[in-house]
Amino acid sequence: MKQRVLESLATAAVLLTVVALLRMSASGQTPESPAAAPGPAPTTPWGHPDLQGIWLDEFDTPFERPAEYADQEFFADEDRTARDDARTSDPGRNRRSQTGTRNDVAGAYNAVFTSAKPTGRRTSLVVDPPDGRIPPLTRDAQERQRIEREFRLALLQNTDTCKNKQLTCAGGQYGPPSRRRNEVPPFYNIGRMNRHDGPEDQSLGDRCMLGVTPDFNGFRRIVQSPGQIAIGIDTGQGQGYQRVVYLGGVHPPAHARLRHGDSRGRWEGGTLVVETTNFSPKFPFRGAAENLTIVERFTRLDADTLEYAVTITDPTVWTKPWTVKQELTRQRDDQNRIYYEPRCHEGNYGLPALLIGARVDEKAFAEGRGPDPASQDTASCVLDEQ
Amino acid sequence: MRISGSMIATALVAATAGALLSFSVTRTAGQGLPGTRTSDGKPNFSGVWQALNEAHWDLQAHEARAAMVTQQGVYDYEYARVPAAPVLALGAAAGVPGSIGVVQGDGQIPYTPEAARIKQQNAEHWIDRDPELKCYLPGIPRAMYMPYPFAITHGTNKIHMTYAFSNAGRVIHVDTVEPPPDDTYMGHSVGRWEGDTLVVNVSGFNGKNWFDRAGNFHSEALRLVERFTPISADAIRYEVTIEDPNVFTRAWTIAMPLYRRLEPNATVMDYPCIEFAEEFMYGHLRKNQLVKRWEGETLIVDITRKVPPGDKLHEWYRR
Repeated sequence: MKQRVLESLATAAVLLTVVALLRMSASGQTPESPAAAPGPAPTTPWGHPDLQGIWLDEFDTPFERPAEYADQEFFADEDRTARDDARTSDPGRNRRSQTGTRNDVAGAYNAVFTSAKPTGRRTSLVVDPPDGRIPPLTRDAQERQRIEREFRLALLQNTDTCKNKQLTCAGGQYGPPSRRRNEVPPFYNIGRMNRHDGPEDQSLGDRCMLGVTPDFNGFRRIVQSPGQIAIGIDTGQGQGYQRVVYLGGVHPPAHARLRHGDSRGRWEGGTLVVETTNFSPKFPFRGAAENLTIVERFTRLDADTLEYAVTITDPTVWTKPWTVKQELTRQRDDQNRIYYEPRCHEGNYGLPALLIGARVDEKAFAEGRGPDPASQDTASCVLDEQ
Repeated sequence: MRISGSMIATALVAATAGALLSFSVTRTAGQGLPGTRTSDGKPNFSGVWQALNEAHWDLQAHEARAAMVTQQGVYDYEYARVPAAPVLALGAAAGVPGSIGVVQGDGQIPYTPEAARIKQQNAEHWIDRDPELKCYLPGIPRAMYMPYPFAITHGTNKIHMTYAFSNAGRVIHVDTVEPPPDDTYMGHSVGRWEGDTLVVNVSGFNGKNWFDRAGNFHSEALRLVERFTPISADAIRYEVTIEDPNVFTRAWTIAMPLYRRLEPNATVMDYPCIEFAEEFMYGHLRKNQLVKRWEGETLIVDITRKVPPGDKLHEWYRR
């Protein structure tokens, strides 16, 4: 019984992260009077465009453009309606499995947990290259991905996930427990793996260190002064972070790394242009870190709309730079919500539960009371199979 | 000599004018320059700031001591204690600097008798109990005088504070907001101006923070009134009146200067301590322990961390 409680706790912790990734923040607030046309873009008393307020992308937009819209930047209205209808009619993740099994618990996240935003205008957030697709990875980056994947598959190879040739095991095969279970991961780990030897085996989400710059999904609160701009980002699930953009000064020496990089901004006409470098290797954005430079452009289009565009450059990861663009909508500012208090770590019972569960499983196996932990998939779940 | 009301008023006006003059003399008005006033004439607190005192060790006056944690030495005198195992390896770098204290008036913290006992126990179990060691959000006022810089971004209706420690932040609402929907670590801050002083009422705490490393604590009934008053373009007098009927018998006040970080490229370099605290918090749950007793010629330091009573997860594990 004890073991089952611990296992389900651990599973729940893993699931929370999954849900965090899947869940859309459509439960957020919406502007009060959508009927009235938004007023003009305001300026601050000191003459800069005023970017202040709480901002959110209220729409669901594919990150990369689906093939059928190859050269089309915007959806037709009927496409948006059709996509919304399709999603509404999808029963969601309310998949049941045999009662009392891990899969059943893991599948019991229905539409309540995965509420969706309406389809936006854009066919993709990626706007450059013009086909709306992230440029190909460099050969080095591909090789790195292959090595990482190989390691994760090795940890899974003795489990039913591979035995039953489930999607999570694609590229791998079923076999005896891999000796690689005792290896240090080939790269600093940020994702989930089928091993829980210590905190470093867990995902950044499980460790309450989720949220990387640039972020496209969270609430952003911008507070602005003539010389510096603060951005508080709430990425959901009690995680988020604070950034300060200095309108002056220079980046610290290259070896001084910051989790969200060092941001220096300047005004180019009505646009705030922010260059961020000095990213930490421990918090990569899609595989880019030490050599990543991002240039963000914030433009207040009108009273309710902030255009956000970011150009992402890392020649060690992508064969050319690429750009993401989204329109953010102003949220009610007179309501106080705890957008600025990410307190996942303070209540992180999930991480110790995962580790304790693994130690309990190992002990049970050693005493002949339980299966070989190497044969159990405690990293993926039925959600991965959909 | 009789002092009339009008004389006082004249003196006050003169003092205020002097303060205004000293501002305009110190800095020329201009965008981005520190120390200028905001466009509505209020002091502009934007910039990178830091307290320079020992309040994060202990709000009250205290003498220097040999280590962050000590144990009885040869003598049983309090002043003759020696460093204890957890920090022994750090030598003289593990000590605690002395301080004249920041508690105003008689320097005493007016605990109820029961709360005074809890404070004493907190101090004795510092390693086990201080939320700072776990990298929890530090709360207010503690975040203001931890030994890390923080940025103040003085906007038109909000003032944002970004702390290096734990990447914590808070927004001071200088406009209308709804009350907080839940209690918080960092509190709910609502500001208003009284002349050149920014007065901030802070409430909505969850009672899980401490004031310092000495075990000074509060409950969820904590209410603060913070006062930020410019001393010069590069210094702020920071005063906090502290009320908590569950813990203190009366309101009490701490005060200290906050200093502008004047180096040309002043930057809040974040202190991402969640990962720094993982070994401390979860190291005992590893499959293969990383921190072991050293052998041979190497110093053996046994670091113990008692699991707080009532922590069910750990109880399960121990069985």
